[in-house]
Amino acid sequence: MKKRLLATVLAAGMVLSCVGCGGATDTASASASASESAAASVEASADAASSEESAPAASGESIDLEMWCIATESDSNRHSYEAAIADVTAAHPEINFTWEAIENQAYKTKIKAAVAADEMPDIFFTWSCAFLGDFVSAGKVYCMDEAYQGFASELPEVMLGNTTYDGKHYGVPLTMNIVGMFANMDLLAQVGYTEVPGTYEDFIACCDALKAAGIIPLGCSGKETWCVTEYLESVIEKSIGADELNDIFLGRATWNNQGVADAVDTFQKLVNDGYFDPEGIALSNDEVKANFMAGKYAFYMNGTWNCADFAANADFGSKVKVAEFPVINADKASLGMLIGGPSDTLAVAASSAHAAEAAQFTFELGKEICHYGYLDGCGLPAWTPYYDTSAINPLTQAVSEICANAKTYVLFGDTAQNADDANTYLSYVDQVYGCAIDGAGFIAGLANDIR
Amino acid sequence: MGKEIYMKKTASDRLNIFLFLLPGLILFIGILIAPIFLSGYYSLFNYNAVSGEMSFIGFDNYKEMFSSNAIGFMKALGNSLLLAALSVFLQLPLSLGLALVLGKGIKGERIFLSVYFMPVLISTVVIGQLFLKIYNPSYGILNIVLEKLSIISADNHPIWLGNKNTALIACFIPTLWQYVGYHMLLMYAGVKSVPIELREAAMLDGATSGQVNRYIVLPYIKSIIKISVIFAITGSLKSFDLIYVLTNGGPLHATEVPSTIMIEMLFQRNRYGMGSAIAVMLIALCFVFALIVNKIFREED
Repeated sequence: MKKRLLATVLAAGMVLSCVGCGGATDTASASASASESAAASVEASADAASSEESAPAASGESIDLEMWCIATESDSNRHSYEAAIADVTAAHPEINFTWEAIENQAYKTKIKAAVAADEMPDIFFTWSCAFLGDFVSAGKVYCMDEAYQGFASELPEVMLGNTTYDGKHYGVPLTMNIVGMFANMDLLAQVGYTEVPGTYEDFIACCDALKAAGIIPLGCSGKETWCVTEYLESVIEKSIGADELNDIFLGRATWNNQGVADAVDTFQKLVNDGYFDPEGIALSNDEVKANFMAGKYAFYMNGTWNCADFAANADFGSKVKVAEFPVINADKASLGMLIGGPSDTLAVAASSAHAAEAAQFTFELGKEICHYGYLDGCGLPAWTPYYDTSAINPLTQAVSEICANAKTYVLFGDTAQNADDANTYLSYVDQVYGCAIDGAGFIAGLANDIR
Repeated sequence: MGKEIYMKKTASDRLNIFLFLLPGLILFIGILIAPIFLSGYYSLFNYNAVSGEMSFIGFDNYKEMFSSNAIGFMKALGNSLLLAALSVFLQLPLSLGLALVLGKGIKGERIFLSVYFMPVLISTVVIGQLFLKIYNPSYGILNIVLEKLSIISADNHPIWLGNKNTALIACFIPTLWQYVGYHMLLMYAGVKSVPIELREAAMLDGATSGQVNRYIVLPYIKSIIKISVIFAITGSLKSFDLIYVLTNGGPLHATEVPSTIMIEMLFQRNRYGMGSAIAVMLIALCFVFALIVNKIFREED
């Protein structure tokens, strides 16, 4: 039954998400000429790499492969990476595999610097859509089409939508995640709630009750702006609908949208009404998450990869529930409109001396990371599960249920937009959270500054 | 004949000197001079190093740098200049005072030297993490002490790094604290090099300890003070690491300095032309301030 549910989630959810993130293709097609020449150069280098380097591997000589990723010690995905690497390297004694994990924000800087300097590792973690799209346009990523043929039966092509540019596949998706509203049910019970509020009015009433009881309703890291977007984008999506937000993120519509301005004002009211922990503005996401797990906040909106850590904590796991953010404007939005999609991806550098072997290795590694990640609760699988999933934690199962009812996905705003636009966007989100500008200022600024 | 030998020897010496200097010169040009010129070249382009797209735009990056509120270079430069002022008028006098006291040869001189110099040896990232804990609104020692002293109330703990009015100064305090020992050590070496005869002669003439410092020691270590001032100002203009760890330029860009903006332009926005323009501007500012300090000290001479 669960497998069937998963199959439904995978088939329906991913199709929706890939429709949602046409940005991958759009981004690529927006710079069509650059992409074409880039793709040509990638193919050329890929051919060269495979013809030159397949010989040593075939003759049994060992080859070195290096990988960079963000699965640091404190990352929810750490265990899945370690377990997957142990399995895949054991199956490939001919490969000397080394890997390095770098903290999320620092990694974004490091990988971009490495791409610019042409000093990329053989295999690297990346986010899909525009983030990877910049590298693909530059011809720095190895085309995975050939290697994919051996895995097509296990990895449905629809999963590759966010990493497909000009019809070619450039990444191996791992897991898919959405923004979830996590609730500490012990704290909610103190103000008379036995379930997560299902409507926006109920949610506000719950926050008021929590505040009156001396409990901080919402926890959010202001030091890491992407955490603020998890709230803000949910509010905007549930106010104007997923399609309008998708159009804006993908450059098909302007930011000059009154609905967005009103939604930003709605979000800012949450800030001004004192629902957010004021200390959060100086805290990192790890600190805010620790506070939530320590019972400091009632709600914490963040990626569903957190299910792994929450469920693994025996004391806390039983207290927490995950739900969808409630609808604010039922005329335009509805439940089933979600923020997220398959974003975590592994890719291979076009400059790798062993690109063909690295591509094969990456597919095997991605499959196992997905396997362990799903079992750990780090997200829903991009690959078709081939294992018993009955022991999946209840939080991840709840996420599966939410995704099973999904209508449309909007990919995270900082992933869907190109680097310059994404940072401009994050800068304005920062100002909204700090109440330096209101909704009108937000849309006017973005409409003016995003090129 | 003798002249010929002299000429040959001189030529040979020159060649030897040149050959000895050549490796250093190559390194200096390759590592320092060439990148500066390359940055200057890139700053004239709209350059995305990831995609390799490059189009000549002249001085547009510089114009945008000074005029765009979205980039906020002028505010960041103002923050750096404030740090430079604090360094010169707070940090250096403190360093000088410590150097003069320790230079007298007080008991436990070496222990004090080691203690004051220790922050210089500790990694900036470690110091950043240390001060993150000190400033933490809930359990930071600063708020706990202020609460014990009844300066703040238990339910109203200041968020030092999260409030745009306090974040900048909260970042500057560890920055200034960390390098007090560095400047102290430079000046201490100068104070220790003052000939003892000069001090004794002044004392015999009835000079007080303060007068000895004022009229003997300070003029003697003036060149070291000049170096310290240059280091303090250029170090402030280049400040990056502690601010990156503590606030990364936030909240609301309140603690941005030119280097944090440069990193954002280069590695987050892929705007290598603008990043290079900021780098060139930083080099130019450091150079100009070094010249100004030199001129001021020369006039005083």
